[in-house]
Amino acid sequence: MPDPRLLADEDLMPLIRAGDAAAFGVLYDRHSSAAFSLAYRILGRRNEAEDALQEAFLAIWRSGARYDRTRGSVRSWVLGIVHHRAIDVVRRASVHDRRRASDEGIEETLQSRERTDDEVLRRMEANEVREALQTLPPEQARVIELAYFSGFTHVEIANMLDIPLGTIKARLRLGLQKLRAQLVQP
Amino acid sequence: MSEHERFSENVGAYLLNALPERERVEFEAHAEACALCREELEELRVAADALPDAAPQFDAPPALRDRIMTIVEREAELLAAAGPEADRPAPAPARRRIKWGFAARVAAPLAACAAAFAVFLGGGNDVRVAKVEFAPRLDATGQLRISDNSAELVAEHLPAPPVGRIYQVWLQRKGQAKPEPTNALFSVTDDGHAAVDVPGSLDDVAKVMVTDEPQGGSKQPSGELLLSATPA
Repeated sequence: MPDPRLLADEDLMPLIRAGDAAAFGVLYDRHSSAAFSLAYRILGRRNEAEDALQEAFLAIWRSGARYDRTRGSVRSWVLGIVHHRAIDVVRRASVHDRRRASDEGIEETLQSRERTDDEVLRRMEANEVREALQTLPPEQARVIELAYFSGFTHVEIANMLDIPLGTIKARLRLGLQKLRAQLVQP
Repeated sequence: MSEHERFSENVGAYLLNALPERERVEFEAHAEACALCREELEELRVAADALPDAAPQFDAPPALRDRIMTIVEREAELLAAAGPEADRPAPAPARRRIKWGFAARVAAPLAACAAAFAVFLGGGNDVRVAKVEFAPRLDATGQLRISDNSAELVAEHLPAPPVGRIYQVWLQRKGQAKPEPTNALFSVTDDGHAAVDVPGSLDDVAKVMVTDEPQGGSKQPSGELLLSATPA
């Protein structure tokens, strides 16, 4: 049996489905920081982010890791589950509690230890995405932010901004199109 | 506006998880049948999948990993204990009493069940008794008594379940990967005695197991494995 750390994500999934805790541990180690960062960005509270992360990963473990290759990479699938959980929490809470901006005064944690190549790469990718978002027309970036990071539905965004629903839908769609164009350009 | 156009307007909102639940379900149903929408979903998914990278990046807390892996490893042990033994033939009943004593309770995390206590009831009744294995830390004894159309789990010297929790019976059916919950929930009397009916037929059951669970029981085992019995 090969060391699960040598296996690609897609090859870990059948092992996890069969109840292999070590394979699950590898998946967790690969994606937990990105997942935690996403949950924390959405929920704004450390313990809530931890709860969402725990629920998401235990759901992956207990549901038999039903990953479907047609839905993109394992990483996207995992982060999608985390995103859903975090947004569910946000939507259950009162509207007034929702975070609308990313400036809560919490600073990005800088560990004193050396960064691995993977982590350096992740930070470069993070910067790339942030820069790409900045190239979007502000009204498109704003609605994407409200939808993806603050968990508002398109109907809620339309009401909040007092803008027709059709316009909100179009901005979300156009914003993603523009973002894609930025990210895939050579 | 055609139906497709109506739905395709929602592609962006769908990918960003910004559709209310009912609309999300309707959109997914539409997308299954609409190649154009699926194509656009694939294209824009690249952008939606990149958004988590825009969040400030933190390391996940190590204590969180410990909590999650403790649960996962415990459940993996339950599965492993049930899986390869599912098809193992039952041992021949022995006409002798075997009892393992324990010098002291061991506070180590649960490992595979080691101790066995078996009693064979002779003499003319049609109850057969199955071997019960307890967690090594326990100084308990017990039997799974099986008759034609019922079964009962009886145990002595069982500790009470942790505060706020209850013991739950699970059935590991042959060929199934995960144990099946039952509504057989029980606790112990002051002197550590417990008796609970095991519901249903045991014909295709490889193992009867008990864990401690939150009040009301669980759909998946989450607590410590207390005992495991193999119907003869």
